[in-house]
Amino acid sequence: MSLFWVVVRQLAEIEAMAASKKVIPREEWERKLNNVKIRKEDMNKLVMNFLVTEGFVEAAEKFRKESGTEPDIDLATITDRMAVKKAVQSGNVEDAIEKVNDLNPEILDTNPQLFFHLQQQRLIELIRNGKVEEALEFAQEELAPRGEENQGFLEELERTVALLAFEDISNCPVGELLDISQRLKTASEVNAAILTSQSHEKDPKLPSLLKMLIWAQNQLGEKASYPRINDITTAALEDSA
Amino acid sequence: MKETNGKNSVEKLDQEQDLGLYFLELCRRKVKEELEDYGGDDDEKEESPTELNTLNSSGGFVVVATDKLSVKYVSVNLHGHDVGVIQANKVAPMKRLVYYFEITVKDAGVKGQVSIGFTSENFKMRRQPGWEANSCGYHGDDGLLYRGQAKGETFGPTYTTGDIVGAGINYAAQEFFFTKNGRVVGTVYKDMKGPLFPTVAVHSQNEEVHVNFGQKPYAFDLKEFEAHERMKQQVKIEDIPVVPNASYGIVRSYLLHYGYEDTLDSFDLASKSTVPPINIVEDNGIDDQETTYALNHRKTLRQLIRNGEIDVAFGKLREWYPQIAEDNTSAMCFLLHCQKFIELVRAGALEEAVKYGRKELSRFFGLPVFEDLVQECVALLAYERPLESAIGYLLKDSQREIVADTVNAMILSTNPNMKEAKNCLHSHLERLLRQLTACCSERRSLSGNQGETFQLQRVLSIGKRS
Repeated sequence: MSLFWVVVRQLAEIEAMAASKKVIPREEWERKLNNVKIRKEDMNKLVMNFLVTEGFVEAAEKFRKESGTEPDIDLATITDRMAVKKAVQSGNVEDAIEKVNDLNPEILDTNPQLFFHLQQQRLIELIRNGKVEEALEFAQEELAPRGEENQGFLEELERTVALLAFEDISNCPVGELLDISQRLKTASEVNAAILTSQSHEKDPKLPSLLKMLIWAQNQLGEKASYPRINDITTAALEDSA
Repeated sequence: MKETNGKNSVEKLDQEQDLGLYFLELCRRKVKEELEDYGGDDDEKEESPTELNTLNSSGGFVVVATDKLSVKYVSVNLHGHDVGVIQANKVAPMKRLVYYFEITVKDAGVKGQVSIGFTSENFKMRRQPGWEANSCGYHGDDGLLYRGQAKGETFGPTYTTGDIVGAGINYAAQEFFFTKNGRVVGTVYKDMKGPLFPTVAVHSQNEEVHVNFGQKPYAFDLKEFEAHERMKQQVKIEDIPVVPNASYGIVRSYLLHYGYEDTLDSFDLASKSTVPPINIVEDNGIDDQETTYALNHRKTLRQLIRNGEIDVAFGKLREWYPQIAEDNTSAMCFLLHCQKFIELVRAGALEEAVKYGRKELSRFFGLPVFEDLVQECVALLAYERPLESAIGYLLKDSQREIVADTVNAMILSTNPNMKEAKNCLHSHLERLLRQLTACCSERRSLSGNQGETFQLQRVLSIGKRS
């Protein structure tokens, strides 16, 4: 055997040692997967938690009937929460504030930042609708006093008022405030605050679990090579381990 | 005949096996769980230290009180090899996030040479924890941390009479941490492998400490510490990007898989009307075909079974899917017969139940896979209030759900486009959760079984109103 091949073989061995990762063949891994105990009730709860937190009230109601899973929150409160969210999403901020206060006045009382953001959104809607005078009055009376209390609020307020300085808003550096994403941001902030006030987590558990899966696969990947799920939307185990 | 690929017995599914047996196995596991008072997994069963080990201690120098929780140095110390060391009766449990214990310094004695830490099993019982290899100790007289040598490192404050001092292992961070009067004073990398004993030492006349292995509340807020550690990990995890709206797709395919059609319709309708509309990343299409298969039939049968109308469900099955309903000895038919029997018991129609049992269930007696469930079912007759008996779980909704899931999977298996039999059993969600659980437990077993494993039940209980 030529020296070349001896060296090649040695190198290959060294490489294998350096990797020194445990290799778990597919068959063994599948056996481990089959030994995992996942309870159907728990998966149902996970799905219900998603429907409830994301505000799918009718689907949650149906799911309760079809699967016998009890929601971890009073379904009636979802309807109210979604009404608030929708009001912000469609620009009816005043209406939203009223609805939040009907739900629980403490939410805004104990959450000055949220209240400011809602007022800011209201100002944005006034500007969007071309109600310049009303916007100015609102900014001076409602928002400026809050800006005095808090430096962060003041900066936000200045940024928002800057919208008035541009005739062509499409070309304005703070134009993003008029974007739909700003409404969605405010809406999801209210949504989270309402959930928190109902002692419910503000985010559903499922997305975190998906992240945890990716994390866990990476963590194990440092110590072992094994068949992964690379695409969580198909949940398929990769072919080669 | 279909080719079998010769995999091991767990992979029966790939062979021409009765899929329903999978669900039968689920039922039987439930029987066991109910009987063993199922507690999630084996984590809680790990033993924890409860008292001091009076057998393996530096006898002669110290006296342990009768409650085995207090230790006092009674001699006069002369040198470095007459330390009064004592270990806990058990090693610190490892299958958890954090282990922790505390001492109260009752009396700092003449020199205040109290210490607290962890030592390995064969530790020299006449030396301070930290002075020898494979040990670690936080010393009261100088506030230094000793790790395997006679020289200590700057660490925390000194401690003396009246102070409460704690030592812990943070398995997630692989660190030791120490506390004084309820506050963490410092952490240090845990460079020791293998089981470790909680250890305390006293080394001058009249020094006395009292140990708390959790019998009493700690001065340190361990719960808060654990929550904080979990949060630290969670923050890292939350930063990981995932496909947008992946959760929607997974929920949707779950509803499809189990035939929760009404929920699915509401869900689809609502997803379209949200602002902005949710675009679920469509699977490769074929997958969707696999799961929309016979959706309405599956939904109808699930409803019938959930309502206890087993005869009607049977009739529909025979009409729609004769190929899976004709074998009266299949696991699915067996489960349906059992359920019918259970429904009769629930309705109080005991005589009819007996008749039905004789006709439909007796043939399953003596067959190993069926026997225990048949016996459990029949045993329902023995109780005046079967719901309150040990086998009351059979009367619960979850039993109907398993039967419905069985029928659902069997119908899915009649789909000529179904690529793998396994896909009839597990939804995407279940496959992901299995992978997650397996990854976590495999990783733990590769790191000496340290740290807590993943438990869906625990995740579900977080943030719940108590």
